Parts: sequence; structure tokens; C-alpha cells
Amino acid sequence: MGVLDLFRRSSIPAPPPARRLFDEEFQQKLEMLALVSRRVFAGRLRAERRSKKKGSGVEFADHRDYVPGDDIRSVDWNVYQRFQRLLVRLYEEEEDLSIYLLVDASLSMGFPDQEKLDQARRLCAALAYVSLSNLDRVTVLSLSDEGLLRMPTTRGKGRIFKVFEFLESVTASGRTDLGEALKSFVAQHKRRGLAILISDLYDPKGFEAGINVLRFNRFEPCILHIVDRRDARPELRGDLLVYDCETGEEREVTVDEGLLRRLEQAVTHYRQAAERFCTSKQVPYFAVDVQAPFQEVVLDLFRRGGFLR
Amino acid sequence: MTLSGLSWSALFGVFGAVAAATALLYVLKLRRRAVPVPFAPIWKNVLRARESSRFWSQLKRWLSLLLQLLLLSALVLSLGDPRLGGALGEGKNIVLLMDASASMKATDEKPNRLGRAREEARRLVRGLGPSDRAVVVQMGMLPTARGTLTGEQSELLASIDKVRARDTGADLGRALRFASDSLHGLSRGQIVLLTDGALKVPERPETDGLSVSQVIVGKGKDNLSITQFSARRYPLDKSRVEVMIEVTNTNDHPADIELSLLGDGTLIDVTRLHLGPEERLPRFYPDVAGASRRLEARIASSGDRPDQLPADDRAYALMPERRRARVLVVTPGNTYLEAALLLDEYLDVSTVAPKKYPPAGAFDVTIFDGVAPVVHEKAGACLYLNPPAEGAPVKRKRRLSLFGFDTWERRHPVVRFATALGDVQVAEGYSLVPEKGDTVVGASAQGPILVAGKRQGHRFVALGFDPRQSDFVLRPAWPLFVLSTIDFFAEEEAGYVSSYRTGESWRIPAPDSLESAELLTPSGQRLTVPIQGGRAAYFGEEAGFYRLSAGAVEPFVEEFAANLSDLEESRIAPQPDLTIAGKPVPEARAGAPEIRKKLWIVLLMAAVALSVVEWLTFHRRITV
Repeated sequence: MGVLDLFRRSSIPAPPPARRLFDEEFQQKLEMLALVSRRVFAGRLRAERRSKKKGSGVEFADHRDYVPGDDIRSVDWNVYQRFQRLLVRLYEEEEDLSIYLLVDASLSMGFPDQEKLDQARRLCAALAYVSLSNLDRVTVLSLSDEGLLRMPTTRGKGRIFKVFEFLESVTASGRTDLGEALKSFVAQHKRRGLAILISDLYDPKGFEAGINVLRFNRFEPCILHIVDRRDARPELRGDLLVYDCETGEEREVTVDEGLLRRLEQAVTHYRQAAERFCTSKQVPYFAVDVQAPFQEVVLDLFRRGGFLR
Repeated sequence: MTLSGLSWSALFGVFGAVAAATALLYVLKLRRRAVPVPFAPIWKNVLRARESSRFWSQLKRWLSLLLQLLLLSALVLSLGDPRLGGALGEGKNIVLLMDASASMKATDEKPNRLGRAREEARRLVRGLGPSDRAVVVQMGMLPTARGTLTGEQSELLASIDKVRARDTGADLGRALRFASDSLHGLSRGQIVLLTDGALKVPERPETDGLSVSQVIVGKGKDNLSITQFSARRYPLDKSRVEVMIEVTNTNDHPADIELSLLGDGTLIDVTRLHLGPEERLPRFYPDVAGASRRLEARIASSGDRPDQLPADDRAYALMPERRRARVLVVTPGNTYLEAALLLDEYLDVSTVAPKKYPPAGAFDVTIFDGVAPVVHEKAGACLYLNPPAEGAPVKRKRRLSLFGFDTWERRHPVVRFATALGDVQVAEGYSLVPEKGDTVVGASAQGPILVAGKRQGHRFVALGFDPRQSDFVLRPAWPLFVLSTIDFFAEEEAGYVSSYRTGESWRIPAPDSLESAELLTPSGQRLTVPIQGGRAAYFGEEAGFYRLSAGAVEPFVEEFAANLSDLEESRIAPQPDLTIAGKPVPEARAGAPEIRKKLWIVLLMAAVALSVVEWLTFHRRITV
């Protein structure tokens, strides 16, 4: 790194003064979200989650044809009497759901003014609160190439303050390497579950690697793509030397209206590529605008998502 | 194309140096501002698409340089002050004679005729060729150059603004003489008159063969004026004032006028008058009370027609200050004389017997009644009644009896008001022997009997008989004679004028001992005027009240008034058919505006336009 690079670094906007992200008002909003989420999932709001496993639970789930080897006690004799057909009764097997909230904490999330990271932390807190309210097992992690920071798995609404405390400590640093970070995540967490990745997906090695790591290790990934419109339409003009805030990669460029238009298109294409990839892999994908109020974002996720069943 | 500024070689040198520096700056790589972005690979993709247009980008940068060089060449060429072929030929030399007479204050043009003349003069100046030169001359009674002969437009325009209309006429003959003198020896001389044409054209104008053209301004002719205004105190009652005003309707239609008379700033009298076409109406105010010093007359049109010249709507007069004259009477006793002196309350009369002469104190006038002692230095002027044979300033010649005034100087201040002087019968007296320089004011058939003169610094009047030996003392002429003589000595009443006329040289009485005095004009200007022979000389061009003052130890203050009083100036109808030496004066024509002839202006405008184009293309990212 040369002397000029030092000057260059100084041109990165300093992070805004520290402020309490999860204040009283925020907590009131979370409470409201929890109430609203109950209405959204009315009738299914007991303190348990139903797994996809069909087995020895008490709640009837479905029928299937009898195959040799099935427990004969599970044959629905009433159906056989009526339809002369051997069907086996299937029950929902109840179990605790593990929810992993993965927050990308690379430098690009803190660019230009921490808004992306703040939105990610707010979303993470909201999801954690709703999950803890439903007695799920919640684990929060921050990802960057500098290491995987982890808040121990917890459950129960009362533990939300631990989550706040952890998220407050998360700062933007280091480069994005989703593949490596998520590899170490799956290595450390044997219990499979829902893995919600909150990131801007700005990974020089490609965001696909990271998502695939989750998929291939039988996690249920869900992508919350943090999008900042200023990335597509920066307030830049003239002859500039642009450099990557994470890698320091430089490009000489003359910014004019045409270039800004093309940049906007490129950013849109990038987002669409991420969405296409997720859709093709049946991974839930949500683009989240940093300027959008997080309550609306969370409610929208609940309505459209389905990952919180 | 010819250069009147820097030479071609100098221009090429300047252009080469600056162009090289400009090109160098363009060749040097721009130091770019470093800006962080969140994800450089996206920019990389964008820039990859841009690589294809790199040639066009480079070309645009060269276009930008070309624009800069064009701008530079326009600027450098303007330094050479290029002129179109032939434009640098021999230029004209022009005298702009701008009429500054009172009629140019007429408001039939906006703001007035002089304002209009200024506009025309500016138009002419802007039309001057690059080699032409001009001088602006204010044409009043005296021509005054308002600048130098120059080709600089800014100087000429400033000179035009300096021209001021005066309360005088304009002397065209003198102005033409001045113009021809100014253009003497210069090629292609021209005289341009900017006037309303209301001028007195000399019979033999001295134009020295120069071409004269004119620009006539003005379109109205409605005017009412005060053409005479005079006032005086009554000799026997100086608290009363007699005023004469003459109002003239210069129009060819009747006019209604409101005439106001103000004394010391207070309205004394308002009169409505009706004047026929071209009528001059004198009006007397025989007994004006309420004014002790300043008198002012104003007129205003009370009819439908406007009065377009305000300069002659006011007239001013100033009464002499009523000084108390110190009079010493050296007499053994003379009732008639004492009675005559009682008539003027402004006399401080002291009486002394001949044996007690001289008493202490200084006097303005000493009356010697039948005696002629040695005159004391503080005696002032002297009136001798029946002087003895010895000691008087005039000698007695021979004894006369039964005589009277057969001839007298009717205009002499001493006897100007003395009526029926020829009826005076004198029993006995003496004829007098005037010396050289003396004035015989009155004489009988046998010789002079009333003589005025000056001896050893003392003015005197000598009457060759005892008034009591005649019926002179029984007549009204007697007190008038005595008091007029005192006025003659003390106040020089005969020489006093209530107002001066503008456009003339004034000789204002002032103490002999002073060399100069400060003159405060009606417009508030303070001027130093020289004093010679007891008179301050000044050429007055402004109507109103003046104040002449000097001396710190023994302050001298003299106030006086001045009026336009020029019927010719009051006739404001413009005269477009001006003829000089029998030839009609043609109309002056302005040349094309100089901007078309001076290329440097065009070049500068081009440079500005190029600069604007460069600015726009740069900020629109067309040439970057």
C-alpha cells in the first residue's frame, strides 16, 4: 500500500457517530411486529413448529398408500372399511426449529454510511424477536473474512436483549467471502435449520458459492438482499479514480450521464442475477431497500415468505 | 486587414507561447480524484463496454483542445486591434458645438432639449470612424471645450455629460470662431451644431471654409416669460419699494398667467393676467411692503397650454442694504438744511459749529454750510453750500445776482430726482471754477454753480450760492437734492443695479484693498473671483442670488441678483432652417456604429462565445 493509498482510504466517509440502534422505540416496534405476525399466522401460533417429517406426532397430517413394512397400527381402518383401500395415517412430527440469522459484516455493508449494515441489523433483530417469541432456537452470526462471530444459540423472548447486545457489537470490516465464511458456519453447526443470509451479496468470488454451501449442507437458505439505490446512482461526476472499498481495486473513469445510466443497468442486472439464481434453486429471495422502513420489510417477508411457517 | 495594436510577429510569439502552454496542460494527465465504490467489479463491467468508444473519447478531448486554441487565437488577435482594409485612413476632425443656451432647458423634449441633444451627440460619437477625432464644446455666450480632441469614445461620452445648459443666450459667431480655431491646420475638419436653432446668426461667420452641419432638437414653442424685472427703494422713503415686472407671451395665441411676487421668500402678491398673442405687459407695483432685501417674481401658465421653458419663469432682484449714513453738518445754523435731513430716518446727523470742527469720530458725509475748513481725513465726502473764497475745493469766480439753473445734468445722481430745478431763483451767489476732471452738474448762463469732483481722496459737491438766498429751500427739489447728494456719496445709489443680466461680464463693487473674493453662486458653487479697481469681475451665466464675500478681519459681503431677461431666448420655437452665410446648414448624419469597424470587439465576443461553448460542452460531458 503506497502513500497515496493512505490518502485514498481517508476519502472513505467516516462512519457516523455511534448511536443506539435498538432503543425503546425499536423494541416497541418489535412487539407490534410480534403481534401482527400472530394475526398473519392465525391458527398456527402455538409454541411449536412442525417439521416436514411425517411420523409419530399427535396431529394428523395426511394419508399415503400402505407399503409392506409399514407399521400395521398406522393403517386407517375406517378408510379401508369405506373405500376398500389400505392407507397409512401420517402424523406431523413436532420438533424445535433452528433459525440461523447470518449478517454480512464486510466493509461494503458499511459503505457509504453504515445504512446497509444498520438495516441488516434491524432486520436480524426483528426476525430474531419474532422467532424467539415462537420459542424457536435462534443463532445469530456475523460474516466477514476476518472471522465468524457467533452469538450462542438461544430461545425464549427474554433473550432478545442478548441478541441486541450482539448486534450492537457488529461492525463493518474486512472483505466479503461468503463461500469461506459459510463453509466454516456449516462446519460448526450440525443441527440443520433455516439459514437467513442478510447481505448485499457483493462477493468478488460470486455470491453463488456461499448460497450453494448452505444448500449442499441441507440447510434451508433464505436470502435477504440489502439493496442501496445509491450504489446504482452515485452522486459522482467528472474524471475520477474509483476503487473498491474492500479490495482496493482501482479503475480510472470519467463519469458522465451515459456511464451512470450503464452503471444503473449493471447494478440492476446484478440484483436480477441474484434473484434468478435463488429462484432457480428454490431459495427464497427478498430484495430489501435500505431506505424502506424495516417494519414494512419484515411484514412483507412474513406475508410472502413462508419460511416462518 | 491592418493591425493597429501589436504586430503580426508579436502576435505569433504570444500565441505560440500560450498555445504551447495550453497544449502541455492538455497532454499532462489529469490528476484524478480518488473515490471509493462498494463493489468495483460492477464498474469494471460498465467500463468494459465503454472501451469501444475510447477513440471517440480521445477525439473529444482533442476537440476540447481545439476549442481552447480557437479561443486563444481570438484573444491574441484582438490584442493586435485589427482593422478592415482602409479603415485606418485619414480621419475626420469634428467639433461638436452643443447649444447650452437657456432655451435648451425647454421641456418639450424629454427630459429637455439638452438631454435630447446629448443623445444625438452620443449617437454621433458612436458613429465615429476609428481614425476620427472629436471635441465637445459647450456653446453659451462663451464657448467652453468640455474635453480634448480625441478619438476615445469614453472620453467623448464623458465630455457630453459635462455640458450644462446656462441661463444665457448662445453666441454662435464666437462658437464658430472657436471651432475654426480649434480645427486650424487639421485635415477634414467638420463642425456639427447640436441646437434648437434659436440662435442669432452672425452676418459674417468665421468658419474658415469648414463644413457645418446641424442636428436640430425641440418641437414645442409654448412659452411665457418674465422679460423685465427691476426694483428700487423710494429716495425719500427707503422702507418702500417700487417694482416693475414685464411679462411676455411669446406665443401666437392668448395666454392666462399667474404672476406671483415674493419678498424675502414670502408671497406678497398674486395676480392673474391675460395676455394676447405676442403681447408684452409691463406691470408696476408702486408700493411694495414686506420685502426688505430679496424680491422674486414667478409666473405660471394658468391656461390649458403648458409653459415649456421654466428658465425664464423666475426673476430675481435684490434691494441695497439700508445702511445708516453718518452725516456731519458744520454750520452756524441752517433750519432748511436740518429740515431736509430730518426726512431720512436712516441718517445719523451730527451738527457742529464751524469753530469746533473737527469733532471726534468718522463720517460718511460732511456738509459745510458757508465754511470751508481744512478737511479732516475722516470727514468722508463733502457737500459745500456757498463755499467761501478760500479753503473750498473749487474757487469762486465772480459774484452773480438774480440767476438760476439754466442747464443741469439731468441724469446726474445729485439732481436726478430734483424736479423743476429750472424754476429756482437765486438772489445772489458765485460762479465756480471747476478743475480738470470735475463735473459741472448745474450752471447758470453766467457760469457753473453746481460742481462735483474729487480732491485728495474726498469726493465733493459744491453749490455756489447760499440756498437761503433763493427759493430753492422752498421747493421739493431742495430735500431731494440734499438726500440724493448724500446717497450719491454714501451708497452710490446711481450705480446700483437691482439685478444683473446673465450672459454678460459683471463688475460688482468691492473694496479696493482686496485682490480677490469668494463668490457663492445660486447653484451653491464657490468660486474665487479677482478684484481690480474696486470691482470684482465675473461672467455670469446663472440666474438667481449671488453672494460675494472676502476678508476675515473686516468682512466684506455683497449680495446681488441676476436674471435671464432675454426675449430672444424666450422665443423657443425651434428653427430647423438654419442658414449660415446665406447657405442652409445640412443635417448631420451619424456613421455606422463603430463596433462594425473595430474587429477586436468581434474577436472578443467570439472568444466569449467559444468560452461559453467550452463550458457547456465540458459540463455536459461532451468534450471530456
